[in-house]
Amino acid sequence: MSEFEFLRNLPLGQSVPGDSFLHRLDPRVRIVMLLGLLAGLVFSRSLAGLGVGLGLVLVGLVVGRFSVRFALRGLITPLPFLLILAVLQVFLNAVPDEGRALFTVLGERVTWGDVWVGGMLLLRFAGLVLGLSLATLSLTTSELTHGLEKLLQPLAALRLPVRDWVVVVQVTLRFLPFLAQAAERIAKAQASRGAGIGGGGSLWRRARQALPLVIPLFLTSLRRAENMALAMEARGYSSGQAHTSMTEFNMHPRDAGVLGLVLLVESAMFWL
Amino acid sequence: MALIELDHVTYRYESASGAVVTALDDLSLRIEEGEFVALVGANGSGKTTLARHLNALFIPSSGTVRVAGMDTREVQQHAAIRAMVGMVFQNPEDQLVAGVVEEDVAFGMENLGRPAEEIRQRVSEMLVEFDLWEARQRPPHLLSAGQMQRLALAGVLVMRPRVLVFDETTAMLDPAGRRKVMEIVRQLHAEGVTVVYVTHLMREAVQAQRMVVLSHGRVAADGTPEEIFARRGELRAWGLRPPLAALLAERLRKRLPELPEGILTGGRLMDALPVYGGIMALPAGEDEPFFPAAREAAVRVEELGHIYLRGTPLAHRALSGVSLEIGEGQSYGLAGGTGSGKSTLLQHMNGLLRPQEGRVWVGPHALHGSQPDLQAVRRRAGLVFQSPEYQLFETYVGDEIAFGPRQLGWDRARVRESVAWAMEMVGLSFAAYKDRLTFGLSGGERKKVTLASLLAMRPAVLLLDEPVAGLDPLARADLLGRLRQLRGEGVTLVMTSHQMEDLGELVEGLSVLKKGRDALRGPARWVLAQDADLREAGLEAPLPCQVAARLRERGWPLGEGLMSEDELVAAVDAALAGGV
Repeated sequence: MSEFEFLRNLPLGQSVPGDSFLHRLDPRVRIVMLLGLLAGLVFSRSLAGLGVGLGLVLVGLVVGRFSVRFALRGLITPLPFLLILAVLQVFLNAVPDEGRALFTVLGERVTWGDVWVGGMLLLRFAGLVLGLSLATLSLTTSELTHGLEKLLQPLAALRLPVRDWVVVVQVTLRFLPFLAQAAERIAKAQASRGAGIGGGGSLWRRARQALPLVIPLFLTSLRRAENMALAMEARGYSSGQAHTSMTEFNMHPRDAGVLGLVLLVESAMFWL
Repeated sequence: MALIELDHVTYRYESASGAVVTALDDLSLRIEEGEFVALVGANGSGKTTLARHLNALFIPSSGTVRVAGMDTREVQQHAAIRAMVGMVFQNPEDQLVAGVVEEDVAFGMENLGRPAEEIRQRVSEMLVEFDLWEARQRPPHLLSAGQMQRLALAGVLVMRPRVLVFDETTAMLDPAGRRKVMEIVRQLHAEGVTVVYVTHLMREAVQAQRMVVLSHGRVAADGTPEEIFARRGELRAWGLRPPLAALLAERLRKRLPELPEGILTGGRLMDALPVYGGIMALPAGEDEPFFPAAREAAVRVEELGHIYLRGTPLAHRALSGVSLEIGEGQSYGLAGGTGSGKSTLLQHMNGLLRPQEGRVWVGPHALHGSQPDLQAVRRRAGLVFQSPEYQLFETYVGDEIAFGPRQLGWDRARVRESVAWAMEMVGLSFAAYKDRLTFGLSGGERKKVTLASLLAMRPAVLLLDEPVAGLDPLARADLLGRLRQLRGEGVTLVMTSHQMEDLGELVEGLSVLKKGRDALRGPARWVLAQDADLREAGLEAPLPCQVAARLRERGWPLGEGLMSEDELVAAVDAALAGGV
């Protein structure tokens, strides 16, 4: 593996194409269902609610014919952070220290209530990570941008620049690989001039060592942004204009049925 | 009424230093429907500024621009103007907006507010026409360079523009890509599309019906290519040179009076070459390329292979079984089209990439070994990248060049001495340039600063990635001269290029790569004469080599492996003398 392959770490275009029941649903339906799911996982106050959320994620993975093992493996990287967060939650939560102490660490009484909130946090974040994996696996960037645009369309009636927001998202996603590739070229060019030979040193010295990478990255990005803006204008783009879209979505009765059912289950997460 | 009319257009802007620059100065110009106009001039003559006035990207400070009668000053006309005047820029990657190919093609028509059904229909047509149908769902950054170029064109042509403006579109392309773009341009012109073609390559400009020469923001000359190049005395003042074919034709015409006057293109010259009328016999050709025994090897590569993003779904093979040996003090070229693997190979020679397969030695260092001393390798072999903007970061030129030596921990006196030496070597006076602002320099000067910044570390081997690409003809000739001088100093030079003329002037040994493999390898004069093989690799032999080959076909007794203009002319003289 090369020390310079920055593109390798870019989690873009990971959506897995397929022809499953989930893939055939209207992208808007998928977006709303996933948003409902994530909201439920964030706001659910009970174990049962979180259980329902995790269950839904699992159903989504199975129906979309994604590898559940692959999704679970995505938990490994953030796991240490989640554990640290959970431990902090055990000690620093706002639950009143009532009831019998399970044990005492450094003078801090740990009760059942403390362990409960720590465990809930762990479960909640695991659910969120899996839910986000489901979202990136099942929605392509283009489905996401067009779906959002259609969903936000009512706001356009209020003269809000919905199309511009969507184009901003689109261009941002375009820029990520740009940045990775530019960073790679810059790092290589500077390494050829002996950059990074010193290493270590004071904070000032280290900040100064980052300049050879940061300044060219900014300048090339700005230049590219300027070129892209010109090219977009030349192709007839201007802010706030009327436009159409090649992509059209059609809601089928099936989409509505699935959406209603899933939203019902998700609303249960809030009340359980 | 002409399709595009510019009346007394002046365009001024404030530069970064606060000075007011007049980029266009009371310029008037008419372009008729269906014309093919080449717009030429030195760097800074106002070509790009003028081009951007044609589709209302820029609005004149004074004067008017009318496109089919519409004044570009009226904002509500901009959509109609831009639908009518399409523009293709230099870097295809910067022009792609959407996340997947087909949506990028659709972008322009969506902006025009066309119905979805019509857009899908047109987009499908364009995808098929430009051979992108298979790739329609891919994100643009995973396309090959050729696909990206075609996509950039498709995204503009989908709107069926009546006028197409090409702004130095081919400057960074390899010969095969350039031929493809020229082919499309000619086809569009034949279909009645008006073409405005901005270029600094004269052999492209001569393909147009009409040439407009800009100088200091004014139209200096306007006429057919024949008329323009007949004004030989003024060309230099405009920063232009006649195309190589014209110069060569002129020299040959002194010897071969049957050549017609006014030849401007390589194609016409080749067709006009006469059959040999003398009696001298064809010399026996050398079958095996003679390769001088290598001195101590500066770089040795054996059976090198490389796969990018290995182990991911995006993995692709860049090199396979490549071998070469470069002697100390030798100059060596790596040629090949875009994506042939030449940059990948070059990056193995200073340890930026480590061999995945095969073996690489740089001097005494074995890079395929377990723990090579990469810092020592990089100090020995310095790599200069193509684009200066990926490495310049200091405010002052002197500091920029001193960066490397300071990293090496040299003392002040030694840093100063090597900076001064490096600057003199590239032709930047130490006294005049050390306190200049890095970002205020011209393209050619910046290129020299990047070269000096590596030279100051006194590498034994200098690795150059496309050293003269994108420079105007004068800057290019200057830089090649500097490199020749460095070779005289005993520095080993390794350079990549897709321009065989550049390599022909400088290198002794040459490898041609095609799809990551050695297609040809040997002494430069032998490799450069293999026109058929070069074409297959997406390249082209230098014009004198092509002319020599054609003369041989027509019975001329010329030896194999001719390279330069002078050699060709001398050989023709010898054949004529022998034939009498």
